[in-house]
Amino acid sequence: MKSRKRATLYSYAWSGPSLLLIGLMVVFPILYTAYISLTNMNVYHWFDFTIVGLDNYIRALFVFDSGFLSALLATILWTAMSMLFQLVIAFVLASLLNIQKLRFRKLYKTVLMFPWAMPGYVSILLWKTGIFNSQFGLLNQWMEKLGLAAARWLASDVSAFICCSIVNLWLALPFMIMIMDGALQSIDRSYYESALLDGANWLERTRSITVPAIRPIIAPAVIITIFTTFKQFDVVYLLTQQAGAKTGSGFHTILTYAYENAFITNNYGYSSAISIIIFVLLIAFSARYQLREEGDR
Amino acid sequence: MSKKKWKERLSLTALNVFFIALCFATLIPILYAVSVSLNGQNSLLSSDFSFIPKNFTLDNYRAVLFGEDIMTWFKNTVILAAVTVTLSLAVAVPAAYCFSRRRFPGRRAILKCLVLLNSFPAVLSMFAIYRLLRPMGLVNSRVGLILVYTGTMAVFSLWNTKGYFDTIPVEIEEAARMDGASDMQVVVRIVMPLAKPSIVVTALMVLIYVWNEYIYATTFLTGEANYTLAAGLNALQATEMTGSWPVFAAASIVVSLPVLVIFFLCQKHMTSGLTAGGVKG
Repeated sequence: MKSRKRATLYSYAWSGPSLLLIGLMVVFPILYTAYISLTNMNVYHWFDFTIVGLDNYIRALFVFDSGFLSALLATILWTAMSMLFQLVIAFVLASLLNIQKLRFRKLYKTVLMFPWAMPGYVSILLWKTGIFNSQFGLLNQWMEKLGLAAARWLASDVSAFICCSIVNLWLALPFMIMIMDGALQSIDRSYYESALLDGANWLERTRSITVPAIRPIIAPAVIITIFTTFKQFDVVYLLTQQAGAKTGSGFHTILTYAYENAFITNNYGYSSAISIIIFVLLIAFSARYQLREEGDR
Repeated sequence: MSKKKWKERLSLTALNVFFIALCFATLIPILYAVSVSLNGQNSLLSSDFSFIPKNFTLDNYRAVLFGEDIMTWFKNTVILAAVTVTLSLAVAVPAAYCFSRRRFPGRRAILKCLVLLNSFPAVLSMFAIYRLLRPMGLVNSRVGLILVYTGTMAVFSLWNTKGYFDTIPVEIEEAARMDGASDMQVVVRIVMPLAKPSIVVTALMVLIYVWNEYIYATTFLTGEANYTLAAGLNALQATEMTGSWPVFAAASIVVSLPVLVIFFLCQKHMTSGLTAGGVKG
């Protein structure tokens, strides 16, 4: 009995440094944020804040023009659109890249991986300056050539949403193509041969062989991508929301919305409440999809 | 030649043209930056732009490498990355070994909790971490950032190495133990060499994370002497009004090159290391 206790202590001692760091940088911030979310801490009440109960949550969830619900809707729309386009485009491209007679497909694959390999923030800033900038961005140079008026691409809500979606698609597609490509290669060719003998056309083959075969293989990657898309911050923040260089677009994901309330308008209590709501949403989602398989290992 | 063969050849050519066009379109933002960085300042606003620089010059690179503080930022980033990677592995490997091999109360609960807690976005932790580090005087310091980065990547490092340790047969270790090896010796001499692929992938992911992280770096670091590459690049940014787009383009290329080299050298490991779980499922 005693040696068992010692063994337990020993295990905790070895895991201690790692658990301590996680405690400080992951667990503490969540608990502290939960605490602040119940107070009225803001720029006027930096030290003398008081507990206000659930006021911040009520403001976020039931006051419609607080902006949280519209940011949440925009984020859901953003995630759904991104996933739809990613899955369809990646599937088509990966299928084409799997045509055996295409001789340079290795080269194409390598080139198409570039957006993934580049540091994300660098790519986003290059898009911002090189493509969308109203003076020396490529888009406006092309508009000029076509005799059209130059536009401020990131200035209005809808066009900012589209621009951010395109950049996000550009960043995320390589990973999805690679996953799809791997999944397609794992399908046994003989299924297709017998289907061809039965006279099944491309659509039928895709529907009854390809999609069921790749679905379980790509599922984990798709779930991870849904998470990262829902939690996307960099694209929207760097393109439109940077402190001192706001473009005037009102498009927010829930993360940039929480960030703005904490660091721009310094409404810490309210921002913390939003953070906790986001956390609860994410936990509900990951408990449903991630935990079941990972917990068993 | 038969009609069918012609048709096949035609569609293959069309496919090749499509992929060449697609590859080019994908690279446009990068190619444009490369071209601008190699171009003389004055030709920038002319509308007849081409992807081949007209006034070829290396002036922008010279300005980046010698004019700005980029060498200081590079040094800061390398130190930060090296210490973070070392510290991450030093805390993750023993912990992962315990969670993989030993059974103790709370083990499963902790593992499950870590997955859930890790879904809290790092950006949202920033305010709390600021309040935590400030009284300790760690806000505008390297030590503070190292703690933040190691802590943020700790759950990933732990899970990733633990997952690989699980696949190593216990029998190998038992043989060594019979010969009188201590725990430390077993981990360092036997488990670590066998787990090299996952340790390399973990180290690379931490390295790339530190290299690419900008939001903590720009918020916590003040004073150009302390900047990392990401924070420095952020400051160099060309906005609608200020800054030099060619110099910024050159700096972007310089900053990206190391990551590109690492990525394409290790692409095989990275993709297999990241998708191993997916293929199994």
